[in-house]
Amino acid sequence: MSNAERRLRFAYMDHWRIDGPQGYVSQYSSARLLDSFLKQIAALGFEGIETFDFHLGVLTDLFGSLSAARDFMQERGIERVVSLFHAVMYRNGVSQAHDRSTHEALFDHAHHIVRSAAGLGVENLIVMPAGQYYDVEPVTDERIRACAELWSRVGRMTLDYGIKTCCHHEFYCGIHHAEQIRKFYEWSDPRHVFWYCDTAQHVIAGVDPVDLYLKLHERCGGFHLKDTHHVDRLEDYRQRPESEVTAKTTPRWFWEMGTPEGLVDFPALFAAMKEYGYAGWVGVEHDKADIGGGNYPASTAIAAWYIRAVLQKIYC
Amino acid sequence: MKDQNIPFEGAIRWGYAFNQWKLGWQGFARLEDNIRALKITSAGGFRCIELTAGTGPWDPLGRPESIAQHFGSVLRFAAQLEDWGIARIPGVFFDPGQLSFEEGHFGLCATARADHALIRQQAGVHARFVAEVGGEYLLIQPFPPYWREGELTASALNAVGDLINAIAQDNQSLGLDTFIHLDALSSLRTAQQIEALLGQCPSPAIGLAFDTAELTIAGHDVVALYRRVHRRVRHFHFKDALAVDTLEEYRLPNAERALILAGGRREIPRWFGELGTGLVDFKSLLGAMHELDYRGWVIVESDRGPQPVASSILLNSWYVQHVLRPLHSRSNPATP
Repeated sequence: MSNAERRLRFAYMDHWRIDGPQGYVSQYSSARLLDSFLKQIAALGFEGIETFDFHLGVLTDLFGSLSAARDFMQERGIERVVSLFHAVMYRNGVSQAHDRSTHEALFDHAHHIVRSAAGLGVENLIVMPAGQYYDVEPVTDERIRACAELWSRVGRMTLDYGIKTCCHHEFYCGIHHAEQIRKFYEWSDPRHVFWYCDTAQHVIAGVDPVDLYLKLHERCGGFHLKDTHHVDRLEDYRQRPESEVTAKTTPRWFWEMGTPEGLVDFPALFAAMKEYGYAGWVGVEHDKADIGGGNYPASTAIAAWYIRAVLQKIYC
Repeated sequence: MKDQNIPFEGAIRWGYAFNQWKLGWQGFARLEDNIRALKITSAGGFRCIELTAGTGPWDPLGRPESIAQHFGSVLRFAAQLEDWGIARIPGVFFDPGQLSFEEGHFGLCATARADHALIRQQAGVHARFVAEVGGEYLLIQPFPPYWREGELTASALNAVGDLINAIAQDNQSLGLDTFIHLDALSSLRTAQQIEALLGQCPSPAIGLAFDTAELTIAGHDVVALYRRVHRRVRHFHFKDALAVDTLEEYRLPNAERALILAGGRREIPRWFGELGTGLVDFKSLLGAMHELDYRGWVIVESDRGPQPVASSILLNSWYVQHVLRPLHSRSNPATP
């Protein structure tokens, strides 16, 4: 099958670090390091990247403008920044999606981000739709409705910029149980709020991402394909200060696709995507792949190998 | 995923070496790490792997006995390659100067005729493996380093030539070619010596393996040298060189350590680099290869560096796909 005939294109969600003479640094530390990063991703067959909104400033700093940054990416085979992860700083009393009194600030912040992103070709604004579980609980219907209201409003605004607002449910998010997710998508505006399927986060939370895709496929704005070796059975999602990093049971939650211990059923997910004709970008992620001595280039290559060896034979 | 344009069939056949993964005697000894390395190389778009002859219990893919121990048999190993994204193993690199537990020596010397029988025996082990997995060649580095051998005498050159001819005859009976590899420390140093050696080994089944970085470090202009000896070049190792041994420190005692690892008097921090980052003019070299109708393997190497091995492979992959292959396609559009 030629590139033109394929329905899926792959983007890399850029958790990445480089161990160099200046220490362990981000690929956004210099144009030279970003050049190296982009070439490695492009060599594997990725055509886009996803990044965090807090990298907008450094891209302008390095290249003078975001359109010049995109030119730099395209010269190396990366077409666009497909998605921006909107890293909301949830704080009680100041910025909490379940607290309507803070919605104006959250809305303005999101508006500032999408206005600031022009030039990169961004298609998705990804956001965790509620704060950390321990800040949101008790997770009442009223609190879920407040979150749905906020992101419906934000989603309407971002579409004016050609950008979908996609909600991404970390396993420690205030909205992560199956029933909470069902209510959130029922109460948010289907025209303006989309679901971003992070496979590992859902499995850790005890939610089957394939089942969720079957239910929410019409709302699906994209994927973060990553794997996990663990399910949170001991309510680590309540762990302070942040379950992803400081949970006492599990130092490393996330793994690249293609490890024997992986719990996500990616073939079933791709079969479901084929059944419903998903077309567009698919993000690949392996957050914190360096924990325990791993490295990002190797993890990314293994994920790419898995896509070619297994998943593209099901749907591509 | 976007298609990767690194063909392993056609006029120029691309592959990747495997020597860069082995760090220290007991490192990279687990089978799953070796399989992961094969998958990483395949993900980079390189679907053919040149293995390196190894020894001892810490090198799962270094010898046919080790492979059989891990997989049941060499053929069962070969049958699984495709599962990891590997299409073929075209050949094995063999340096008789390295110690071997199995053959019971601390390094043999091809200029000493007394060592020839054992070198030939050891080469046969690897050649039979290559033939069994459907490969094409045995790549041999026959010359001892200069610091150990000194100026290469005519009789020493004759001895090596005789050995290569004998090994090539053995290999031919298995359907394999024999390629001669030279490194930066080799006692065979000049273009005249290379021509003299090739003159002693006239069989078309014997060719020169042209290592771009090693020859550059040794002081050669690789494009000019290739033009001079191109009729006998049958194999390439593509890697970049970041410095030249201008002080002739290949003469230093224990130059493998004193020059390559320690960097010599200038303390060169790194000799080998990813393609396009150093002194080798790959664009001109590839132009000459097309002009002179080179047909054969180009094996890319990562050889010592600070980056994760995967990173080095991916950077080389990008350079092949985005810089070299577009040149190649323009000059030879019929090549896949």
